[in-house]
Amino acid sequence: MLSRIAHLLPLELKALLERMPENAREGLEEIRIREGRPLEIGYLGQSRFASPDGSLRESADGAYKPSGDLCRKLLEKLTNYSLYAMEEELRRGYITVTGGHRVGLAGRTILDGGSVRGIRDIGAFNIRIAREVVGSSSLLVPKLVDRQRQTLHSTLILAPPQQGKTTLVRDMARSVSYGLWGLPEGAKWRGRKVGIVDERSEIAACVRGVPTFDVGPRTDVMDACPKAEGMMMLLRSMSPELLIADEIGRAEDGEAIREASHAGVSVIATAHAYDLQDARGRPVLRSLIDDGAFECVVELKRTPSGIMHRVVKGGAASTVHSLPGAAREPASPVWRLPAPEQAAALVRMRDDDP
Amino acid sequence: MIKLLGVVLILFAGTMLGFQQAAKYAERPRQLRQLAHALQRLETEIGYGHTPLPEALKRTAAASPEPISSMLLSAASGVEREEGLGFQESWKQAVLRHWSETSMRGSEQAALLRLGSTLGISDKEDQMKHLRLALLQLKAEEDAARDDQGRYEKMWKSLGILIAVLIVILMV
Repeated sequence: MLSRIAHLLPLELKALLERMPENAREGLEEIRIREGRPLEIGYLGQSRFASPDGSLRESADGAYKPSGDLCRKLLEKLTNYSLYAMEEELRRGYITVTGGHRVGLAGRTILDGGSVRGIRDIGAFNIRIAREVVGSSSLLVPKLVDRQRQTLHSTLILAPPQQGKTTLVRDMARSVSYGLWGLPEGAKWRGRKVGIVDERSEIAACVRGVPTFDVGPRTDVMDACPKAEGMMMLLRSMSPELLIADEIGRAEDGEAIREASHAGVSVIATAHAYDLQDARGRPVLRSLIDDGAFECVVELKRTPSGIMHRVVKGGAASTVHSLPGAAREPASPVWRLPAPEQAAALVRMRDDDP
Repeated sequence: MIKLLGVVLILFAGTMLGFQQAAKYAERPRQLRQLAHALQRLETEIGYGHTPLPEALKRTAAASPEPISSMLLSAASGVEREEGLGFQESWKQAVLRHWSETSMRGSEQAALLRLGSTLGISDKEDQMKHLRLALLQLKAEEDAARDDQGRYEKMWKSLGILIAVLIVILMV
């Protein structure tokens, strides 16, 4: 994991991170760099402070503290020595670098007529490493299949930040695009045309308009485009059968999703929320759910053993989990693990399940 | 016979020396003009194309004549090397390394180094301002260089041969 982003880091920082234990290097998720404060490393769902010799500790005492010069160099490298080309990104507070990794920034903002025009004196970076987990949606996709239309139901995926939403929708795009429905009767169904509106360049990690992640052969990506506008553009121009958008939340996003669902296009969208109850607290999501724009709602939860999901059908009707067999089989967990090895175990466990 | 050969050699050397000095005066405004063109191009790349700096420098280098081309190119490649130079250091190294190949002087070097410390680290308007400032300085230098050229180029051309003649007369 570290090797994927090593080229973005100043030498000093790179050398330090290379001294970390093997499992931390491989399971690296986040690097949080704050000027003059301890360096924090997020890996395998935990968070530790790194000391100058590369060991990771719970306490911040004796931890490595990045200098101002290091932060300046890091910013230069992240922006490819061209802060001026990143104005739009700085206004939003993060930049997406080659490979789909997102770097969040914090510092002193510059205001222009009351709205944020950019950030200067950047003092904190959060490098989030994008990972492609092929097959991460293999357990979820079959549950969302609309057998009549031979495509997926419109689905809203809910989870707090850092739970694997983006990884999941990327793999869903890939599965649908290839026509991997995960159902016996779906073996002969063809793949569907997928349109991805990738406002943050995270889903497909486009470099000059070409996706660097495998998002499937029938997938079109509108890169770095505002979601609402991008969805309308794709609807008009690329005739998608499935639209994917990450992190919806603004009123215009809701409008675009309604438009798409009335155009007979399935929409898969993600949003930040702990669960359905929580999502109902957000006006845009609530009205979308109540209007029935989404036929399914998926909640994600991350546990040490993997990312688990729970499907709620017909978000407007109720919050009852209508997983087949769940009621009759109390031992069977409502949460499902999508990781392949656990999938096999689950399937075996449920062999007697009608 | 040998005396005659010596005279010819001295005259030749003096003439060449004069012409070389004169050429320096002629070269300086030309290079300043080329450098100004290069910076103007860079300004366009940054301001309208939003091209990342290394790429913008490479494109500018491709359109510029030597020795400016190799200076810009080495500034761009400096940041891509392993040592992890910041852009400012890379630019400084490139300017200093290639400076002896140019006919330009200390004042334009100072302007270039100042520009290097601001390139890439601020927003678009700020970049444009710094580039324009550097352009203005180069323009002022170019005017001064043209004055010098008018004044000293001819002088050096004749001075070289005249000094040679003087030496010959003194020696004979």
